[in-house]
Amino acid sequence: MKNRPLFLLGLFLAVLTSWAGFVLGSHGQLGSLTPFFDEADGQSHPARLPGLAARGQLVYADLGCAACHTQQVRRPGFGNDQARGWGERQSVARDYIFHAQPQLGASRLGPDLMNLAGRKPQAPSADDLHRLLYTGSAAHPAFPFLYETREIAGESSRHAVRLTGAAAPKAGSEVVATERAQTLVAYLLNVNSGFEYPEARPLPAKSPASPEAKK
Amino acid sequence: MSHPPTQAPAAEVSPFDAPARWPLALLAGSALVWLVLSSLLALVTAIQLHTPSFLADCSALTHGRAQALRETAFLYGWAGNAGVGLGLWILGRLGGHPLRALNWAVVGTVFWNLGLLAGMVGIATGSMTGFAGLQIPRAVQPVLVAAFCAMALPGVLAWAGRKREGTYAAQWYAAAALFLLPWFWTATQAVLLWSPLRGVVQTVAASWHTQSLVSLWLMPLALAAAYYIVPKQTGKLLPGYESAPLAFWTLIVCGGWSFGRHLIGGPVPAWIPTMAVVAQCLLLFHFLVVALNFRQVFAGGSLTLQYLRFGLVAYLLTGLLETITSFRGVGVHTQFTLLVPAMEQLTLQGALSMFLFGGLVYQFPRIIGRDWTLPTFVSGHGSLYMLGVVISVLSLGWAGLAQDALLNHSQTPFAEILAQLKMPLLLHTAGQFALLAGNVLLLVAFLRSAAASCCREEGAAALRPASSAS
Ligand code: HEC
Repeated sequence: MKNRPLFLLGLFLAVLTSWAGFVLGSHGQLGSLTPFFDEADGQSHPARLPGLAARGQLVYADLGCAACHTQQVRRPGFGNDQARGWGERQSVARDYIFHAQPQLGASRLGPDLMNLAGRKPQAPSADDLHRLLYTGSAAHPAFPFLYETREIAGESSRHAVRLTGAAAPKAGSEVVATERAQTLVAYLLNVNSGFEYPEARPLPAKSPASPEAKK
Repeated sequence: MSHPPTQAPAAEVSPFDAPARWPLALLAGSALVWLVLSSLLALVTAIQLHTPSFLADCSALTHGRAQALRETAFLYGWAGNAGVGLGLWILGRLGGHPLRALNWAVVGTVFWNLGLLAGMVGIATGSMTGFAGLQIPRAVQPVLVAAFCAMALPGVLAWAGRKREGTYAAQWYAAAALFLLPWFWTATQAVLLWSPLRGVVQTVAASWHTQSLVSLWLMPLALAAAYYIVPKQTGKLLPGYESAPLAFWTLIVCGGWSFGRHLIGGPVPAWIPTMAVVAQCLLLFHFLVVALNFRQVFAGGSLTLQYLRFGLVAYLLTGLLETITSFRGVGVHTQFTLLVPAMEQLTLQGALSMFLFGGLVYQFPRIIGRDWTLPTFVSGHGSLYMLGVVISVLSLGWAGLAQDALLNHSQTPFAEILAQLKMPLLLHTAGQFALLAGNVLLLVAFLRSAAASCCREEGAAALRPASSAS
């Protein structure tokens, strides 16, 4: 440590190798992934999100939904992601190539949302989602600032949220989804990574000789 | 390698510290303001966990944003300011010259804090980047890097221009931290914000950054404080000091590798979680040497040593728990549960903050030249903070274990899981409340001491108007 330039060079190189190894290394491995063209259905997967949904993904990020929701399904044998119906296969890097900011998340206070639009037997509808976001529940925060309550002038709005019970606005007014709420819900109606890529065939749960190999 | 110095604490401000007094006090004061703010936000997020409707109407404090604000205020505001203040001070003292280029540090500190403030406003209004640990909006980040370089300049100059040939462990850690942050933060910005890499490579880069932030920047600053203060307070040489360089290089080389423990089974290359196991095992060596070096903190009784002792125990526990949870068999259970924030609190509030408190409580009287005006407030802070950390880590740990059983081994619906976690989550809120109360006490004690010192200085100047030096 007596040699000042050598010390600084050592520090610099230590961090450079770490950065290059991890960041550039995974870029080298995954950066050139392309969509997979499926002969059977004549489409490529993953598909790009439609414009409205792509904007909704940014709303999801800036509200920090990832503080409670993950978007990554683990393979069979890791927790019980499959049993909870979050997806039949694990998420793979190819699923995210069109995500402007992948929101993998690190906490599961709420369910995983990677395949929300493909939930069996039935995926939530736009109305369900608006209701959840507007009123919240005992377990879910509400996001009332994504909605506007206003007097019905003439015809009721196309974007009015159908509410009943205590949450319903008083007669003559309606709760209307703002543009941000509309894009967010459009996004949630599109998160689905059901397609089975060759690299994502689930390994049989029983013979995990090396379940982490081959990704 | 020479022996750690063991001079007695100065009763008056030493000539070394006199010019650095107000720049360092500015850093410490800003750190404490951010600390109180971050613990207030931590209380909000803790309440939201068991009562999701809390402040839900307020878009700036919706849970995801409150979380990002808390984390930013804590890491960059509290730990960043406090750590840099301690690092500069230590490098100046051990370098053997009064600190030079202090104007740069003051300008840097002002811009760093203004930049953070702008960043906080940005997060609250919806321009956070969406990467945990790096939520500051992208337009602000380059300003912060530039401000940091200005802040760090006196430290780097003191290190490069030092008088003595030999160096101390405190100097390596402090110099490394000041030198490394601008470099790796710029590298991260390049691949995340300016020409973003595609897909999950972004997640890899962001997790790497967050880990480096703690392992290569904040922890080294905190350890520098401990390495500087422990021998002075115990009056003894550090046992096993000859292994300290190895501990240092292990942390610097492997510290950034261990982020993969959060990505077990995730859509990233499988070697990333594997490297985390390797890194954690190598880091055990670092923890072992640190434990050996600081053994003596268990003997002493001063408040500073109490903080350092708590910090050391938390640091070693962190090392152990992170190693265990980096193995896949354990990690798949702890992942995504509240055990992750429990361990994070142990690292950040238990280890990092405690080392920094130990440093501040020791440093501040020595730069302003008078003892704490309200010593009971300071020791009150110590007790409340330690209590708060224990309560919140244990309650989150309890919640996390219960959550793992319900989440990974049953089909219990989420609303019911949360209902069952209510008790530990309420306790966690109580813990956060204790932390907030303690931090307010420390801020008040700081302001009173600083004010008293100002008054005395004015009084002294009035008495001898002709003399220019004060
Ligand atoms: C405080 C944690 C928290 C935050 C923040 C949060 N959620 Fe949730 N989310 C939950 C919980 C808990 C559930 C399960 C609720 C239930 O079953 O009643 C849930 C359920 C959901 C569901 C239904 C999932 C399913 O499988 O049926 C959707 C959709 C959803 N959340 C979307 C969002 C969006 C969008 C955001 C951000 C705007 C968000 N959540 C923010 C905790 C959270």
